Formats: sequence, structure tokens, C-alpha cells
Amino acid sequence: MSFADNLMMGFSLVANIESFLALGMGVAVGVIAGAIPGMSATMAVALTLPFTFALQPITGILLLLGVYKGGIFGGSIPAILIKTPGTPASSATVLDGYPLAEMGQAGKALGMALWASCTADLISNLALILFAGFLASFALSFGPPEFFTLMLFSLTIIAGVSGESLLRGALSAMLGLLLATVGLDLIYGTNRFTFGNVNLMGGLNFIAVLIGLFAIPEIIAMVWNPKVFDGQKRSMGKSWVTFADYKRCFKSIVRGSFIGVFLGAIPGIGAAPSAFLSYSEARRTSPNKDNFGKGELEGVAAAEAGNNGVAGATLIPLLALGIPGDVITAIIIGAFMIHGLQPGPMMFILNADIIYALFIGLIVSSVFLFFIGSVAIHGFKYVADIPRGVLFPAVLVLCIFGVFAVNNSIFDVGVMFAMGWVGYFMLRYKIPAAPFLIAFILGPLLEDNFRQAMLMSGSSPLILFRGPITWFFWTLTMITVFAIVRAGIKATRRHVPLQTANQE
Amino acid sequence: MRRIGSLSGAFYAEEELEVHDRTIQLQLGIGAVVAAALLLLVAIPVWVSSPSNVPNIILSPLFWPWALAGLTGITGFGMILTAIREPALAEPVIPDVDDKPKAWGRLASIAAVMIVTMLIMPRIGMVWTSMLVFAVTAFLVRTSHPKTALISAVLVPLVLYAFFAHVAGVAIPQGDFVRLP
Repeated sequence: MSFADNLMMGFSLVANIESFLALGMGVAVGVIAGAIPGMSATMAVALTLPFTFALQPITGILLLLGVYKGGIFGGSIPAILIKTPGTPASSATVLDGYPLAEMGQAGKALGMALWASCTADLISNLALILFAGFLASFALSFGPPEFFTLMLFSLTIIAGVSGESLLRGALSAMLGLLLATVGLDLIYGTNRFTFGNVNLMGGLNFIAVLIGLFAIPEIIAMVWNPKVFDGQKRSMGKSWVTFADYKRCFKSIVRGSFIGVFLGAIPGIGAAPSAFLSYSEARRTSPNKDNFGKGELEGVAAAEAGNNGVAGATLIPLLALGIPGDVITAIIIGAFMIHGLQPGPMMFILNADIIYALFIGLIVSSVFLFFIGSVAIHGFKYVADIPRGVLFPAVLVLCIFGVFAVNNSIFDVGVMFAMGWVGYFMLRYKIPAAPFLIAFILGPLLEDNFRQAMLMSGSSPLILFRGPITWFFWTLTMITVFAIVRAGIKATRRHVPLQTANQE
Repeated sequence: MRRIGSLSGAFYAEEELEVHDRTIQLQLGIGAVVAAALLLLVAIPVWVSSPSNVPNIILSPLFWPWALAGLTGITGFGMILTAIREPALAEPVIPDVDDKPKAWGRLASIAAVMIVTMLIMPRIGMVWTSMLVFAVTAFLVRTSHPKTALISAVLVPLVLYAFFAHVAGVAIPQGDFVRLP
């Protein structure tokens, strides 16, 4: 069958009220679930899965894809309004989204998050349609050495999110990497810092660490000094995102989308590293780089573009090779199998109509996301109007329920509290929290891929330079490190004349 | 604000004990070096186990923690060095609270709330514990809307329970006394 035949067949499958209803409902459920801390997109997709059993294959899969896409965007709403990322992918959105909300520009931040999300989503879907085959074969050539060099390069993001002091950022990252070693060793299965506690054998729960690090310190800070927040209310602000804002951030949005597409096509990386990498690149190239972390709209745009760019691209290895790129696509692959479909190269031949129907559905989902997202923003905006003295205790209770719900574990609630104090200590000592989180996410990937590469090569480090991909990432890492060192030296030189002038 | 000639004098103003960013940097640096030493000498040997037949140190479960502890130590030394040399760190840190003893008291109270939460949650259930947590936290942050806070303290945990238990299917701890439908 020709491309046009497949496209028409796809249209005939998707152009019905059930499919559009499923897609719309999926996006709405995803946005709401993503906006509730602890109810991650993964959980929402898993909970929706049973509802697809009775549906037509294409309707069921579109429902799940809608939940997935809505969930990734929905996470940005609490990240901006209450500094609690609804999903791990929204961690980078906190960095500039929350300061914007503090300045009464929550509406602008949420609007930009939506516009960036929809643009990235569209680019990601188009990439899926156009490059599925090519990107899938490229992703297949990634082995442990390539992953290791990619992770090493990704760690240079830390420089971009360290704020004023690179050394404090490095210390924060070291803490994150050390905390990521807690649990059973993945190669030998021996204990590392588990202190004989069974709960620690699987490592620390990511959501508990994430919420503990970002949300709880704000509550403790308010307890320390309630006067600062006395009776304070934030409003959404009259300002709404304008086309001029969108145009100013467009370059970062497109760059972030492509970063998302690239990282999303590689199985096992996920949306959070992509968001941080996109954020870091935006900061590096922006004329307003000093404003990043203090409430820069471009920072929100880059972070959201980075995480939403992943959404369509994770389906590339799923559809082209039958390999799930992350946990959510692993659940979605289950839905395919339940309906008797086997994703992979043969699906493009045997079920080309379904593939094209999915492509059309995905494009439509970007439009749905825009409209449903707009409604959701206006619905959730009332959160910004709640007095702090009521909002913060409510956030604490929400965090308790949300963190417990991830694993049904009270221990995780304890981890969240403990991380809250770590986060508060970091806040007081001006240690940035973002490097900690990036290192905590990338740490296990970095270590596992390094050790796997060493196992493959009989401990010869030469394997880390084995091909063009590894060389590409080594070069990028070297260039970035050089740029960081040069910027550091320049900053020091700038301070010396200033100090001399002050003394005079 | 005049600096005194000694190293410690550089960190504190003569007139009042005002903390400088340099002090924080130095404290962090020393803390990082001490933590690295503790990791290398105590924590890793005691709490990280490795099989005896690992062919190469690089493959050992000990390698990564060792490397990280070493890097933490290096970072700590870097911070100490910059604390002494970096001119940009001479800025004083503005105190963020007027009445420190009371602030410490509130901080101790919220820590106690968290510990008590962990202890009583399995016994009285998550909903009732959350109601208490809400009320106490609202009191600690000196809410200017006490009535709204009290009503919310009852309603928010109930709504969250209804959602998580009945929509998301999460087994919310109910405790031994009053069980919710």
C-alpha cells in the first residue's frame, strides 16, 4: 500500500467521535493527574489502562497517549504555583516558574509552559512521523560506553543550574550522587548504605526525594519566619503570555524540543534529564542568562519544551523497534499487546493503518492539549489566590498523601521529611538544590553504564572512546568544561577590579 | 564595617557578630572535607559490602562511593581555598528573622510534628494524622485565617482520602480506631 493509502486508512480509523472523545478525556485526565503531586503521569496511565480493555485498539491507545501527554504538561502547574513538581519531568520548571509566581506572574509562567509544551509536543510528534525509522536505528547503536559519555555530558548541566557558586553546585551534585548509591548494587547485589533496612534496598524513592527537596523546605522556611509571608496572597497577575514573549523564547523552545526528541528516542533516559539539558542550553545561550533561576520566562519555556519534546519521541523506539523508552511506554506497550498488536518493524507492514491513525491522533492531541491546558490553567489559578497560611499546611498534607501513594509506603513519607530538612539546610546555606536532583537522577545511569562498559572491555578504559558517538560526547563535554572554566576565570577577574575600586 | 586582621576576623564584623558569605563557604568546605573523611574511613568500610572475588577495583561496588567521597573532599578543599581567597565572598549575610529563639522553637516544633507524624500515622491513620498536621502547621505559620485553616484542616485530608482511596485505589492507612468508608 502507498503512503496515501495508509494515511486514508488511518483517517478512517481515527475520524470518529469515540477516538476524539478518548483523546480529549485522556488529555484532561492526564492534566489533572499531573497537577496532583504524587499522581505522576505513570500512575495515571497505569490507572487508565484497565479502561482500555473494552475499547477498540486505536481508541484505547489514544486514551493512554492522551493521559501521557496531559500528564507531562500537568506536572508544570503545581511546579509553578506551589513549587511542588507534579511529575519528575517538571523539576526544571520549578527553577524559574516558582520565582515568576512569587512575582505575581504565575499566569504568564503557566501560559508559557502551555505554549512551549504544545509546540514541543507538535515538533516531537512530527519527528516521530518523519524520523521514526532513522532515529530508532541511531538509538540502537547506543551501548553502555555511549550512554556513559552522554550521561557525563549531561552532568555538565550542573554548571548551568549552580547559580552564583559553581563549587556549591558541585557539592550539591556530590551529595546527590552519593545518595543515589544507596540500595543494592546492581551488578553484585551487595548492600550499599542500607544500614540493614529492607526499605533502603531498592534505593530512595525518587518522588519522595524530589518533593522533599523542593516543597518541604518552603514550608519549613515559612515556619522559621512567618512574618515574611504574613497574610500574603499571590495573584495570577494580570500579565498573560504574549506572542512577543513566545517569539522571544521560540529559539529555546525549538532547541528544547529537539533535545527532547533526541533524548526521548534513546530508551531509558526519560523526560527529566531532557528538561534540565534544555534549560541549561537555554541559559548558556540566552542574553538574559543572569536572570535564570530568578524568574526568567525563557527558563520555563526551555524546561517545558525539553520534557514535552520527549513525549512523542519515546514512541519512536516503541513503534519502530518494540522497545519501551520509559516506564509509561512500557505500560502502553502492554495495551498494544492486550489488543493483539506487537509493536516493532512488522507493525509498519501488518498494521500500517493503526500506525498512521496513531500519528494523526498524536497531532490532534497537541491541539487538544492547548485547549484543555488553557482551561486547566484557569481552573487551577485559584490555588495562587489561597492565603499562604492555609496553602502551605495544605501542601504539606498533599505531599504526605502524594508521596505515600507512590509505593504505599510510610517509609517514603519519612524520606520526604528527611529530604525536606536536607533541602532546608541547603536553602539556608545557599546550596542550589537543582544539581542535587540532576545528579540523583543521572548518578545510577552514569555508574551502571560505566561499570557495564568496564565489564564489556575487561576493565579497559579505551572502550569509552570506541566510536564516533562517544567521541562526539567527549568533545561536547570538553567544550562545555572549557567554557565553564573560562567563564569562572572571567568572573573572578571581574570581581577583583570591583573590590579594588570599593577599597579606594 | 571594618575587617580585623586575622582570618576569623575577616568573617565577622567588629561591632556585631554578623555572618558573611565567606563564613558559610568555609563552614561548607570544612563540612565537606570532614564528611569525605568519615565516608572514606568509616561509612564505606562499614556500610558498603563487596564480594571478595571482584576481578578489578573498578568493577567493585566500593569504587563509586570511594570516587565520590574523594571528589567531595576535593570540592571541600576548593571551597576552603575560595573562602580564603575569593573577594566576592566578603558580602554580609542579612539576618532573615528578628526573634531567633522563637524561630528556633518553631523549627523544633515542626521537626517534632514530622517525627510524631511518622509515629502515629500507622496507629491512628493517615487522615486523622493529616488533620492534626494541618492544624499544627497552620498554627506554627501564624495563619491570619484561623477559621478557614481549621475548616480546611478537616476537609482537605477527607477530600484527599476520597480521591486517593476511591479513585486512585491507594490503600490509605486507616489506623486502629476510627475507620473511614
